[in-house]
Amino acid sequence: MKFHWFNLMPWPHLPDDFRETNRSVWVDVDSKLYDPVEGHRVYNEYLDQLEYAASLGFDGIGVNEHHQNAYGMMPSPQIMAATLARRTQDVTLLLLGQSIALYNPPTRVAEEMAMLDVMSGGRLVAGFPVGTSMDDNFCLGSNPATLRDKYRENHDLIRRAWEDPEVFSWNGEYNKIRYVNIWPRPIQKPPPIWIPGGGSVETWDFCAEMGYNYSYLSFNGYVRGEALMQGFWNRLGELGVEFNPFQGAFAQQIVVAETDDQAEQMYTEHLQYFFDKCLHVYPGFADAPGYRTENTIRAGLRAGGAQGLGIAHTLTWDDWVREGYIVAGSPDSVTEQIEALATKLQVGHLVALLHCGNMPDDKARASTKLFAEQVMPRVKHIWEDYEDHWSPKPIGSQHVATPAPVLSAN
Amino acid sequence: MAELKTLDLRPGGQTAHVWEGGDPASSALLFLHPVTGIPRWGDALEALAKDFHVIAPYQPGWGPAKDDLPGVRDGLDLVLFNVDLLGTLGVDSAHVVGISIGAWIGAEIAAIRPDAVQSLTLVNPLGLWSENHPGEDLFAQHPGHPTAVLFSDPDKRAELLMEGRDALDAYVEELLDLRASAKFLWPIPDTGVGRRLMRIDTRTLVATSANDNIVAKEMGDIWRAAIPGAQSVELADSGHLADLEAPEALSNLVRDFTLSGA
Repeated sequence: MKFHWFNLMPWPHLPDDFRETNRSVWVDVDSKLYDPVEGHRVYNEYLDQLEYAASLGFDGIGVNEHHQNAYGMMPSPQIMAATLARRTQDVTLLLLGQSIALYNPPTRVAEEMAMLDVMSGGRLVAGFPVGTSMDDNFCLGSNPATLRDKYRENHDLIRRAWEDPEVFSWNGEYNKIRYVNIWPRPIQKPPPIWIPGGGSVETWDFCAEMGYNYSYLSFNGYVRGEALMQGFWNRLGELGVEFNPFQGAFAQQIVVAETDDQAEQMYTEHLQYFFDKCLHVYPGFADAPGYRTENTIRAGLRAGGAQGLGIAHTLTWDDWVREGYIVAGSPDSVTEQIEALATKLQVGHLVALLHCGNMPDDKARASTKLFAEQVMPRVKHIWEDYEDHWSPKPIGSQHVATPAPVLSAN
Repeated sequence: MAELKTLDLRPGGQTAHVWEGGDPASSALLFLHPVTGIPRWGDALEALAKDFHVIAPYQPGWGPAKDDLPGVRDGLDLVLFNVDLLGTLGVDSAHVVGISIGAWIGAEIAAIRPDAVQSLTLVNPLGLWSENHPGEDLFAQHPGHPTAVLFSDPDKRAELLMEGRDALDAYVEELLDLRASAKFLWPIPDTGVGRRLMRIDTRTLVATSANDNIVAKEMGDIWRAAIPGAQSVELADSGHLADLEAPEALSNLVRDFTLSGA
């Protein structure tokens, strides 16, 4: 099993009455709650945590994309990944991901991801989500009626831009470019492609057709995730795809302390902050008409947009643990829960959300260290009989360039 | 009573799903539905069919034409669909009545094919934008009851739109009808028709509903001012979907305006 450290990068100073004074943490959240000078400190702290996780032996470190969002302050995952590319070695850069339907032309995405793959020496995982309705439709104005069609065209264009060695023309419904010929080209041909999703039937079929990793991103935890992940595996089976756990990934909130009681004492307030404030999404932004396909509506699936409709903020610590919203407790307890998660979901990649809500740096690091040193060694053997085709294949160490030390002006 | 017909408009062209009612010898009336399509042959259409040969097509993307949405990109495609439909039915020109998004389509037809339009009635028209009068965002609604905002009382959605239909099918159609609307009105309902309204030389009436959460009365004034010689009127006791909430008042208004110019 492989482990990827992830931080949503929440704004940590939302007021106590946030739910009462803002209808949504996303789209029309009050910008006056943001302080750019404090934001400078927060960005650096969060990036330091990602680099710290890399130093502890996590397989990957992850960044993602959100817009107009107080719980996810990475409008550009490429910018974050670029700084990490220079200050880490070996670790996978999990860019999970870029909402490719938003960009016109999408060759810009192909270019930036190629740059990252080259800068990092072939360590990039390219995440291609459809994106949430909040980001795609309401923040950036993309038309929900054509979003999935445009997504597919942009995907095809990016793949060809990476892989066709010749100059070519693209006369699509959404993009018309006379000369496509990106420089630089990625080291990996192509980088592994992961599709973050929340339960769209079409996304499962797309992963099956293209051989991509399906990453289920939910904040409702692994117990509720079981039925949906099983739906994915069943669909792959129906389509004749051989089971390989590394074709699946799951994102999970995790907190670790010396004892179970200590974990509850240390982390409850930060998880409460996350569930109460960070998931406070106005339902009217969750599902623009056309965002869900007819098949997905009929299947009763949410397709990733509606995390904010959850009830986690009304629950207690014991509920969160029992119902799997969080994996939490001592290293022994967390190990047991990870084993249960792996059995239920059958995923080879775990995106470990080890920073939660307004968690301060010392607690994030303590939890991360315990997980890396006392949990990962005991569970990484899970799925060792399977070959992972969805991780990067970096250039050999003999080719790796080392950034020069930072020079002082003095 | 009316009949729901399926017609091929021209070789290689669209298929139309169209309600047709009333005496074919009467004056033709092209009814252009609102964002919610035509949930049934309702009271407004029945009342109009007493005086007119009513032609009420589902626009490509709505109702039974849900799979035709990719075939239309913009207002011009919708104009051609409706003009082709009239031609297929042997109708040279019609009184055009459009509600909500249908009012935009009607205005486009009148601007582009004035010879096909005998009179134009625009009810709660979408298609122009004013920052001063944005109205509620018709697409940013709770996914559990996405069209409740279109009614003067949200509880009327269950009674007037969903009742008598399979619950899941009606809900799916509700969302797909809104999807089709979004294709032309997302993210701001500025269709560009404002550049063409001055071309309309047909008798025109602009009506707004007193309790419409989406289209403010002031938007009706903007439409009226942009169309040469247009008149305006207010419909009491109705939200955005005047065909469902005020069928009698709507049909009376259309009859009075249309026949007064005959």
